[in-house]
Amino acid sequence: MELFVERLLAGVTNGSIFALLALALVMVYRSTGTLNFAQGEFALFSAFFAWWLVGTGLPVWAAVIAGMVAGFVLCAAAERALIRPVQRKSELATLIVALGLFSGLNAAVALIWGTDTKVMPSIVPNGLEDYFELFGARVYGDTVITWVALAAVTILMTLLFTKTELGLHMRAVADNAESAALTGVNTSRILMLGWGLAGAIGALAGSLATPLAPEQLSVTTMFPIFIGACAAALLGGLDSLAGAVIGGLIIGVVEAMVTGYVPLVGGAMQQTTAMVLIVLILVVRPNGLFGSKELERV
Amino acid sequence: MSTVTDRERATEPRTERSPVLLAEGSRAYRIVVLVIIAGIIGLALIGTTLSVYRMSQVTAVLITAIAVIGLNLATGYTGLLSIGHSALFGVGAYATGILILDYAYSPILTLPIATALGFAVGLIVGVPALRIRGLYFSLVTLALGIAFPEIIRRFDDFTGGAAGLLIRSQFLTPPSWTGLTRFERGLWLYGLSFVSFVVVMLLVRNLMRSRTGIAMRGVRDHEVAIRSNGVDVARTKVLTFGLSGAITGYAGGLFAMNVGALSPDGGSFTLVKSIELITAMFIGGAGTLLGPLIGSTVTVFLPELTSTWTTGPISGVLFGVTLIVLVFFMPEGIAGRLQIIARRFVRVVPPDHPAARRPTTSTQNSGGNATGQKSVAAGGAEQPPGPNSDDASSEGSSR
Amino acid sequence: MSALEISGLSAGYGAADVVRDISISVPAGEVVVVLGANGAGKTTTMRAICGLIDRRGSIRVDGVEIGSKPADVVNAGVSLVPQGRGTLGTLTVLDNLRVGAALRRDRAAIEEDIERWTSVFPVLAERVDQRAGTLSGGEQQMLAVARALMARPRVLLCDEPSLGLAPRIVQHLFATLRDINSEDATSMLIVEQNAELAMDLASSVYLLEVGRVVRSGTPASFREDTELRRAYLGY
Ligand SMILES: Nc1ncnc2c1ncn2[C@@H]1O[C@H](COP(=O)(O)OP(=O)(O)O)[C@@H](O)[C@H]1O
Ligand SMILES: [Mg+2]
Repeated sequence: MELFVERLLAGVTNGSIFALLALALVMVYRSTGTLNFAQGEFALFSAFFAWWLVGTGLPVWAAVIAGMVAGFVLCAAAERALIRPVQRKSELATLIVALGLFSGLNAAVALIWGTDTKVMPSIVPNGLEDYFELFGARVYGDTVITWVALAAVTILMTLLFTKTELGLHMRAVADNAESAALTGVNTSRILMLGWGLAGAIGALAGSLATPLAPEQLSVTTMFPIFIGACAAALLGGLDSLAGAVIGGLIIGVVEAMVTGYVPLVGGAMQQTTAMVLIVLILVVRPNGLFGSKELERV
Repeated sequence: MSTVTDRERATEPRTERSPVLLAEGSRAYRIVVLVIIAGIIGLALIGTTLSVYRMSQVTAVLITAIAVIGLNLATGYTGLLSIGHSALFGVGAYATGILILDYAYSPILTLPIATALGFAVGLIVGVPALRIRGLYFSLVTLALGIAFPEIIRRFDDFTGGAAGLLIRSQFLTPPSWTGLTRFERGLWLYGLSFVSFVVVMLLVRNLMRSRTGIAMRGVRDHEVAIRSNGVDVARTKVLTFGLSGAITGYAGGLFAMNVGALSPDGGSFTLVKSIELITAMFIGGAGTLLGPLIGSTVTVFLPELTSTWTTGPISGVLFGVTLIVLVFFMPEGIAGRLQIIARRFVRVVPPDHPAARRPTTSTQNSGGNATGQKSVAAGGAEQPPGPNSDDASSEGSSR
Repeated sequence: MSALEISGLSAGYGAADVVRDISISVPAGEVVVVLGANGAGKTTTMRAICGLIDRRGSIRVDGVEIGSKPADVVNAGVSLVPQGRGTLGTLTVLDNLRVGAALRRDRAAIEEDIERWTSVFPVLAERVDQRAGTLSGGEQQMLAVARALMARPRVLLCDEPSLGLAPRIVQHLFATLRDINSEDATSMLIVEQNAELAMDLASSVYLLEVGRVVRSGTPASFREDTELRRAYLGY
């Protein structure tokens, strides 16, 4: 029982990180209709930036917020300068730009901060003694903070989309950019904002993930997380915020359970198992769990 | 959608000068074909004079190009974006490696099996494409790409696991009929890769001019319309993915023979490889015949080039920047761009093409019926410069 | 003075212009109809006016030259009901109407307008919380018109509003447009391929062929021309 709860909680924690980055992917998809292959590397860059700020003496929470701002600016700028001009050419062209960003950002991180592993401190106390027990399992501070972050981001996003005029306009642009433009909505600003928010959320995911990641912060930290997030976003349906959250949690928990309980697979094939499961789900539901039908145009 | 029409315009040059028309089967046409064949043989011979290091790079280019041809079949021509071709490449490579090491196969005999396995895995992955589309289908291929290295690591008594497979060079000796010694393996693989590349390229060229090839482009450009025309979209997709896997698997087999060491880590069979293949395809020109070769040349040599300017991470940054710059200025890829330029000067038409009989006709596509016009326009970036550049319109006008 | 004065408008999608040197005048409070076969460039003209594609030439609203961004056009008092309706299918009917008022800040008046247009189009009132994508074609067309009206335009542009609708619904739609035109003095520029109903509202008619205005005049003058009548009015 204890072990089970421990695994469940570990799964939920990893899943929360997947979900956060998946939310970023969904934001971009809703704005631009593409899968941003560089989302993980944007997050990586922002997390390194936050790490560097901590080194200059900034409190961790302030550094994380600054990292989010950096992520916002970076992503918004990329949308405006690099994605928008090619987006109309073809889907493949957009994808290649994202791949270029992927490779460029990753190398830029290595260039600026080096390829050695960094230790990103946690926002909250996370010493060996800083835990409480839940059904006999130990829950540490940096675990809780990921749950809180996911919950907070989900709630804020939901409020943004359902209660504010800006959110209404964002939904309108996601649905049909031309119709939205015809009513006077500034689609250009909305697209940048969508990417910017994605960048900020990704940065948060990156900064929170690194204290949990076994090798701490390095240039390879975000790629596996990005893959998990990608799977989560697609599983959820690419355009659904709730889908991204649920998808992320499912993948985190499935991976943890498979590692723990399926000896044949063990620790070696957790990603494979998760992916096979997702494929099976897609065979039954080709647009993900919560995707809207209209998105078949992709 | 506007994107398609915009591209039509861009790729349909309205030049003042009429291009020279070259009718298939005419004398001029045969001469051009002979010159091209001579050029290819000449290039191949020049290749043999290269230093060992350069020759091995050219071999790497050729092998990558074959793998990219495979990807191009699925992604470039048929529109099924695959992020999992690294795995198909790996299937072929490991098939060759394991057969040589555990079953004492002679290397060249492993290639048909590598091809067959690539075909089988491709078919299996293609099946979900019947229901799952677009980016969701790409996720299926992504799953394959992620699973492959994990499977290799997991079944290590068979595959060598994380430690890798080492095929000692005594097992990779060129066959005796070549008259080459063990130490001339580089030359042997160069020759084998060259011939393989040319053969695969010609096969794909012929495939793309067949009914199946037309159906494949149809699946990419207007799936709904083509379905109502009675094309079996499901069969086309699955078969395409199988063929694509076969070609990439074959390339994987060659790769194993060439490098002699296989490992699940390090980028040969991981998503990094998939990204490299996609990049090569795009830079060369998606859906073009020569694109894979050009793109592979760029992706093999560009990192080397950028690393001679600078070292370490900067070359990675430059690689990313170059990629983006290419998309901005050459979205149809190098081969696609060359072809647009070439079509301004020379245009190949089928023997019964009306314009060929009346050589004074203007540059306008006179191809009478709607099918002809559509495929010519959409085909701007699809047909290579050279002897076959007007195959789509031949299809249109001969019906 | 004309409410909307288009002169020398040229626009296209790439190298070549699709429409050239278009001049159309919509007098204040009146309805003008543009006729033209499929592909003549009607939609292109509308998109150019609204700033969705680049254009050359002059567009004045009440004598004032308007900007080229879509928001400038809406701010100047011109709203388009696009061809194919452009309904925001994943949003509710109410949200569609709210988006229509994107540039307005007068909250109370926005709510009043929502009241007003949902009572003018009762089908919408019954479905305010329904996703717009679930509406029938006719209902979506009503919604598209209502959404455009939410911007309180001086000039309403309609691109083939009758496309794909049953005759009874088309009649209802044009009756409503007539009411709006007479109650609010909203000027209208209506594009149609087959325009008998629209002609009833019109004070003048323009004919577009291959990207140019080839003829203009009163509805009566168009009806008298047998050839035109056969080609565009269908009798
Ligand atoms: N997005 C586009 N890109 C390129 N050409 C277009 C596009 N939309 C329309 N056209 C072309 O412009 C011409 C006029 O089209 P359109 O304005 O839609 O005509 P209409 O509305 O009168 O039917 C047509 O020849 C059409 O092919
Ligand atoms: Mg039209």
